[in-house]
Amino acid sequence: MENIKNKKLLIVDDEQAIREMIDGFLRKDGFTRIYHASYYAEALELSRTVKPDIAILDVMLPDGDGFSLLTALRQFSSMPVLFLSAKGEDEDRLLGLGLGADDYIVKPFLPRELLLRLIAVLRRIYAPPKEEMRPVFTLGNRIIDLESGMVKSASGEQALTAKEHALLTKLHAQQGGIVTSDMLCQAAWGDDYYGYENTLMVHIRRIREKIEADPSAPTSLLTVRGLGYKLMVKGE
Amino acid sequence: MDGTITILKRFISTTMLISILLLVLNLLLLGLWIFKGMNEGNSPNTVVRQVAENLKVSGQSYSLAPEAAQLLDQHRAWAMLLDQSGQLVWSHKLPEELPASYSITDVAKFSRSFLMDYPVFVWEVGEGLVVAGYPKHSLAKYQNIYPVGWVEELPTKTALLLIANIVLVLLLSLFIGSRLIRSIRPLTRGIQALADDTEVHVEPVGVLRELAKRINGVSELLKQKRSALISRDEARSNWIAGISHDIRTPLSLVLGYASVLEENAELPEESRHQAGMITRQGEKLRTLISDLNLVSMLEYEMQPLQIKLLRLSALARNAASEYLNNGLAEQFVLEVDIADEGVQVQGDEKLLLRAIANLIQNCINHNPGGCRIVLQTLTGTDKNIGRLIVADDGRGIPPDRIPDLLELPYSAKRQRPLQDGHGLGLPMVARIAKAHHGRLILSSGSDSGLTAELELPRHK
Repeated sequence: MENIKNKKLLIVDDEQAIREMIDGFLRKDGFTRIYHASYYAEALELSRTVKPDIAILDVMLPDGDGFSLLTALRQFSSMPVLFLSAKGEDEDRLLGLGLGADDYIVKPFLPRELLLRLIAVLRRIYAPPKEEMRPVFTLGNRIIDLESGMVKSASGEQALTAKEHALLTKLHAQQGGIVTSDMLCQAAWGDDYYGYENTLMVHIRRIREKIEADPSAPTSLLTVRGLGYKLMVKGE
Repeated sequence: MDGTITILKRFISTTMLISILLLVLNLLLLGLWIFKGMNEGNSPNTVVRQVAENLKVSGQSYSLAPEAAQLLDQHRAWAMLLDQSGQLVWSHKLPEELPASYSITDVAKFSRSFLMDYPVFVWEVGEGLVVAGYPKHSLAKYQNIYPVGWVEELPTKTALLLIANIVLVLLLSLFIGSRLIRSIRPLTRGIQALADDTEVHVEPVGVLRELAKRINGVSELLKQKRSALISRDEARSNWIAGISHDIRTPLSLVLGYASVLEENAELPEESRHQAGMITRQGEKLRTLISDLNLVSMLEYEMQPLQIKLLRLSALARNAASEYLNNGLAEQFVLEVDIADEGVQVQGDEKLLLRAIANLIQNCINHNPGGCRIVLQTLTGTDKNIGRLIVADDGRGIPPDRIPDLLELPYSAKRQRPLQDGHGLGLPMVARIAKAHHGRLILSSGSDSGLTAELELPRHK
């Protein structure tokens, strides 16, 4: 975590005020090695000499545009890049991401938003890859282990089938919120809800049989009529 | 092409009618004229008869009644009486060059034609032959001799001639008419194309070349106007995009510093609260700018659509669960009622979700006291239309205000100024529907509330 704050950052924006503001709250958050550029040529030059670890690029620069700057940078650097643009159109966003940018933030933005996304990118690129663990959580007196795909209770262990596992994972990812039937079917079968109405119902009932104390009066996996289901996980 | 056929039919029938009328008129005039010419004054036959009847014999001398003499004088005519042997027995103003005796050959000759160039007419009387003569070169005498068969066939022949005339007129008018039509056809095609708003060029040839040039001119004019309109739309859209771009940078600074102040623990609670207000309002401004940009792009048909096959029911569930998951105030009830699970449309998922969200938000905005919102998907009475309905049972909107809701705020088409909200929500939905070749229909609910229907072309 600490070495992320030691990374070299390059901010490219022709507005000095924007650069100063970003600089300000990045320093406040602990970043120290921050470089500024307001021109395309300057940014390219700094990238060669300083070799920053990540760059925040404005799309519109006085002597060029951020997209071609990224293409030029890619000739010699594979550092992650975030676009910061005053153009919010979807086309530009897709173009930026299509060119290999790691994120695309539209002005005006909240500092917290920029910081979170920046750190997320840095962590993804530079933090040592951790063994990603699937969640394990408790529902009533049962422990649901999505890593091993088992439901453990006082009476013993029950295995989740692949589909049940996929459905529960999706529900758990949005715990407390409604997951529509369509999203569940996409997660489990990669298809529309249309034609899977009964199949989904059958699978939900089987999951309830495994995780609910009383499957016909569910307390954790609730039906939201007309929309889908939601998984209530208390006090995790 | 129906138009040209009609023109041809009308042209031919009118031409035929005119020709027949002309023929009848000519026949009438001719008949009248001949008849009149023949009967001008007293005919020579009448004159000679009058003379014959008024010639009194008393022994060896003859006397002509004065009225008959007057009649002769009127016509500057002369008269004579020949006896059975051809000798002149009486005369009246007889020219001196005429002989006093005539052979039977002479009589036969002059009774048919002329006597020494005098047109003469004869009338038989008991004692001989009265001959009345007119001045030289005053009358022409014709004798018509026809075979009986020819005379008998005359009515049939006249009828045939008439029919032949009619056929000739028909063919002629057909010929002239079709030539006319051939030159009109490109023009009608051109006008049709103008009506369909496509570019046309009519070759300016034939009698109607001036018209063809005019049509080409109009087409050119329309093209110019259309391109002017497009470039003006582009300019407007770019202008709005430019303004929103220029607002974004200063707004970034406002939002950025306000939120830094809001999170600064060293500041008094009140100042942080005020900074928070700046942040919230800045965020509102941010939403407004992007909405304005989207509506402008939609209005001028510049918004790119990421079209894919979508199920209306899935869209409705997605939109509803989004609202419910983000915490819907408890005075609102949001339900989804799927009548037809199978309705699919070709559309941009993000835009359609935005449209549904705007419709739900509209229900919430108009009913701060709470209401029940129902999302329905169904097939229209027209099987080619999929319908998504967002209905509430809230306080509704007076029907006369409904058309206003779809107009852009500050538009001249709006009857009343904006009352609440930034007013882009419903116009945006209407434009999203239009971009999908569908439409938004707003209506007051059966007893209360507002019903918004999104009609989209159904994917078969």
